[in-house]
Amino acid sequence: MDGNGAVTTGPIATYAGPISMGLPGVTAAPGDHVCAFYRGPVQRDEVLLPFLREGLLAGDKVICVMDDPDTERVRGPLAAEVDVELSSRTGQLNLLCSDRAYFPGGYFAADAMIDFWERGVDDAVRREGYGFVRAVGEMTWALRDLPGVEHLVSYESLLNRFIPRYPLVSLCLYDLERFTDGQVLMGLLRTHPKVLLSGQLLENPWFTEPDEYLADLG
Amino acid sequence: MSAPELDIPNQLGRGLLSTMRSLLVLGQLMTESTDEQQIVDLATTAVPSLARCRVVGVERAGATTRSPAVAAALGAVGATGGWLDLPGATWGWAYPLGSLTGPLGHLVVAAETEPTGEEQFLLRALAQQTGAALANQRLHAQEQATALELSLVNDRLRGTVGALERSMEIHARLTTVAVSGEGHDGIARAVHELTGLPVAIEDRYGNLRAWAGAHRPDPYPKDPPARREQLLRRALRSVRPIRDGGRVVALAHPQGDILGVILLVDPAGTAGEQELMALEHGATILSMELARVRSLAESELRVRRDLVDELLNGTDEESALTRAVALGYDLQRPHRVLVVEGRGRSRDTDQLFQAVRHAARDEPAGSLLVARGTQVVLLADVEADWERLRAGVLRELGGGEQSGNGSREVRARIGVGEVCERVAEFPRSYRQARLALRLLAVAEWEDRAVRFDDLGIYRLLVGIDDPGEVERFVQRWIGALLDYDRQRGANLVRTLSHYLDRGGSYEATARALIVHRNTLKYRLQRIRQITGLDLSDPETCFNLQLATRAWHTLSVLRS
Repeated sequence: MDGNGAVTTGPIATYAGPISMGLPGVTAAPGDHVCAFYRGPVQRDEVLLPFLREGLLAGDKVICVMDDPDTERVRGPLAAEVDVELSSRTGQLNLLCSDRAYFPGGYFAADAMIDFWERGVDDAVRREGYGFVRAVGEMTWALRDLPGVEHLVSYESLLNRFIPRYPLVSLCLYDLERFTDGQVLMGLLRTHPKVLLSGQLLENPWFTEPDEYLADLG
Repeated sequence: MSAPELDIPNQLGRGLLSTMRSLLVLGQLMTESTDEQQIVDLATTAVPSLARCRVVGVERAGATTRSPAVAAALGAVGATGGWLDLPGATWGWAYPLGSLTGPLGHLVVAAETEPTGEEQFLLRALAQQTGAALANQRLHAQEQATALELSLVNDRLRGTVGALERSMEIHARLTTVAVSGEGHDGIARAVHELTGLPVAIEDRYGNLRAWAGAHRPDPYPKDPPARREQLLRRALRSVRPIRDGGRVVALAHPQGDILGVILLVDPAGTAGEQELMALEHGATILSMELARVRSLAESELRVRRDLVDELLNGTDEESALTRAVALGYDLQRPHRVLVVEGRGRSRDTDQLFQAVRHAARDEPAGSLLVARGTQVVLLADVEADWERLRAGVLRELGGGEQSGNGSREVRARIGVGEVCERVAEFPRSYRQARLALRLLAVAEWEDRAVRFDDLGIYRLLVGIDDPGEVERFVQRWIGALLDYDRQRGANLVRTLSHYLDRGGSYEATARALIVHRNTLKYRLQRIRQITGLDLSDPETCFNLQLATRAWHTLSVLRS
């Protein structure tokens, strides 16, 4: 499979209504690809933890790829309201470290990554029977000095061909204290249809459809 | 990563509302940004999406301008911006980066054709947003810097308070030691507990006085005197404790007089400021302790000296006994007064005093003594072997058992007074000891310890109330010889005295006088001629010998 194709072989039981992001008054729609900008780990948790908690409580499949190898920093606070152990055991919560998800071969390949997501989401919906999937990626891995990370923005653009085909909301976490290159930030603005900024989910007027964006890149 | 070239008319075709939303989202992202360059990059990258023009630069006030031409053009339009005459561009414009405190710089753009009014409006709005975001970021950075500074000040304050508390703890602990009278051991223990390092206290010469902590060396190592002096001088010059190999050394030197040394054993060099502080406090407390001990010793010494002086000069018995009791000394035992003369190898005036003190302690012969001029007076409270005492003094002075054996310069002789049973008798015993000592010199006896009791006829002569009778007796028998000696500078009385004291032996007399036998015979002939006396008559010899001794006695009494 590549970023343009799909593995769809049968109908998907979709959930069409709005889903809660866990923040007051903030809801997303299935197929939303959201770019969340924040400053530092405290603000990250203010966005991340409510999103995960809502998903687990709602019975959604949650796939979360964190760059911070200390997954306890996510599990710990969640455990107050959710049975994290049970969720992990049943597979409802799939909490991964970016090393395993993004760099299995020691380099980043956008196609392989989209394949990873598509398999995960497709399995959740078709095999495991989840009605909705929440995907989260902490994106600071892209700042590492590893081959392929320069294709970050192209990868984000390609995701827009895959995400709308599933009952899925994808949340990409970008720390403004780490992503300091303004040109990269503009690229991210152009590849996410929704932007979560200061507790508000905005339709992103800068968004450019992947065909157009990737064509411009050449 | 470069910004993609977009179809701007199509973008704008989405309508003004969509473009305004774009600006709002961008403005919000700029407000969330964490540094100035991030904001400037966002603005620069966004410009081609808003208008058909290129960015010349985002020129911030105070920052280096990229091009002199741009700088000159900006200087011409001033803070509010406006049209710019830029080389290679038909149209150029500087939009002020607005903030509450005035423009922070300019967004400078250029184009081949002048953008539409709507595009120019969007560029102005973008510049305004960029300025607001920059101002916001600077305020935030300033707040962070202030918070950081406050945090650093708090850290320093905590450090200072911590050090102060530690200092107070050290001070309190050592002050407790000082007032509790635990002495050297207590001080060493306290400094050891405060530093965790082994602690030694040494006297000035490097002898161990106290140790606290593990691994006490046995025997305790001692530096050679020259190295020791070098270390002390170095420590004296330094305000803080000094490192000497694996030790950190501080001096106890009240009024600059080094009384002792306290040191940390620290071969790994782990002692920090807190440990040095504890060591310094320890040195201060040790100084106080040593000064106190020395002051006590000095005042006791002074009281003892005063007591001896008064006893020798004659004093009120009641007062002398009271003071002796205060000193823990039993004055009501029988005593003898001893007067010691001598000289050691060095010219140190204190040497004889110390020699007598040590010899009297070792004998033992007594502990009350004073220096009087070149003599030392000892109040002996036991009947010691005085000749052995004299040998001890000689030894202490640096001589051998015999004064005449290769160490002639070391001498010692002792006059011993009679026993005094009461305080009032000390002056008499003292006078007797001095007389005995002077007789040794006048009669040209060898150095020895001589008891007044053993002086025989001399003792009788001294006791005669009327010296005039003795004088007349001397004149009757040797007056003519004394006149002859005085007039001619001769030695006839001395010759006669030695001859009679040696029982009329020519041999022994010539040797004692260091003269030739013929010289001695000639002198004896002169004596017979001048006195008209027969030296072979025992009666005559007795009276002549008595007369010479009486003459010695008179000499001693007169001197």
